[in-house]
Amino acid sequence: MTNKPLKIVLFYCANALDAAALRKSAGETGEDDIKTVSLPCSGKVNLLYLLKAFEKGADGVVLVTCHHGDCKFIEGNLRAQKRAEAVDALLDESGMGRGHMRMIQKNTENGVKQILKEIENFKTEIRKG
Amino acid sequence: MIVAERKSIPDLVDILKDHQKILVLGCGTCVTVCLAGGEREVSIISSALRIASNIKGLGFEIEELTIERQCDNVFIEEAADAINRNDAVLSLGCGAGVQALAERYAKKPVYPGLNTSFIGILEDRGIWAEKCAACGACVLHQYGGICPVTRCAKQMLNGPCGGSREDRCEVRPDRPCAWQLIYHRLKDIGQLGRLTQIAPPKNWEPGHGGGCRVIVREDHRI
Repeated sequence: MTNKPLKIVLFYCANALDAAALRKSAGETGEDDIKTVSLPCSGKVNLLYLLKAFEKGADGVVLVTCHHGDCKFIEGNLRAQKRAEAVDALLDESGMGRGHMRMIQKNTENGVKQILKEIENFKTEIRKG
Repeated sequence: MIVAERKSIPDLVDILKDHQKILVLGCGTCVTVCLAGGEREVSIISSALRIASNIKGLGFEIEELTIERQCDNVFIEEAADAINRNDAVLSLGCGAGVQALAERYAKKPVYPGLNTSFIGILEDRGIWAEKCAACGACVLHQYGGICPVTRCAKQMLNGPCGGSREDRCEVRPDRPCAWQLIYHRLKDIGQLGRLTQIAPPKNWEPGHGGGCRVIVREDHRI
């Protein structure tokens, strides 16, 4: 998988990120295929959303949530984290191994560029296997 | 309700590896409520199996369906077409559902996708606990509605074992001592006097020790 372009699906809370800026910046990340999926709250995500991304060929899935304590719906990001962990475990059971599911918390310090940098690190880890 | 847990994906792959066209069949009753085998879990398990199949090159072709109730022939009929066009069925029903399907479709392999665990209730979000051992001779009236057969690890019928710490069971410290609960419950309903009555040895014959149990209602057999 060293040189192959990666397929990444990025689910993000619309309250945490500026969708237009994200799409613009995500479009500048080279040959890798990054699909973005907006959610009204990261708590909207469920196991099936994430698993379907992998079933359709994603090498990695990123879930961007609000910082803990900042969720507009109180506990949406906490639910999202539990679900991301469950999917990571299920992928391990399915033979894909752990580490293909990454959750990134948005806070005041990390803007879109910082998040994209974290995605780059995530892609490097996937490539290393 | 009947509470169950899904088998691990490696176990399911091992069970299904000799088949290609597989129906993952959910049940809309107990196992839906305990989040083990309803429509959503059918989709999740099917998706995980497809991922495993892609990685291992197993060639699974998985169809998904959920019916109202797997332990009843009337509802099983709704799955007839899907069962017939697949090589095998992975049932996400309880053990009764799996066997009802196997009896109805004698030449079709039917496999369990869940481990049926116990009769219980939802205690808190994501926590199910056993409440009934289906012993066949209910004694709940004597114990304020708290079952010592199921909820006391030692099945003590004449008072606590003496090993509990604070209000915790010594065998399962994560669970409350059933006898502590029984005492408080009987006190609350003004029936503490029941504790002075000695319970004779319980008749275990109606329980599972006597083999497979059958109930016959002649008034319904005409």
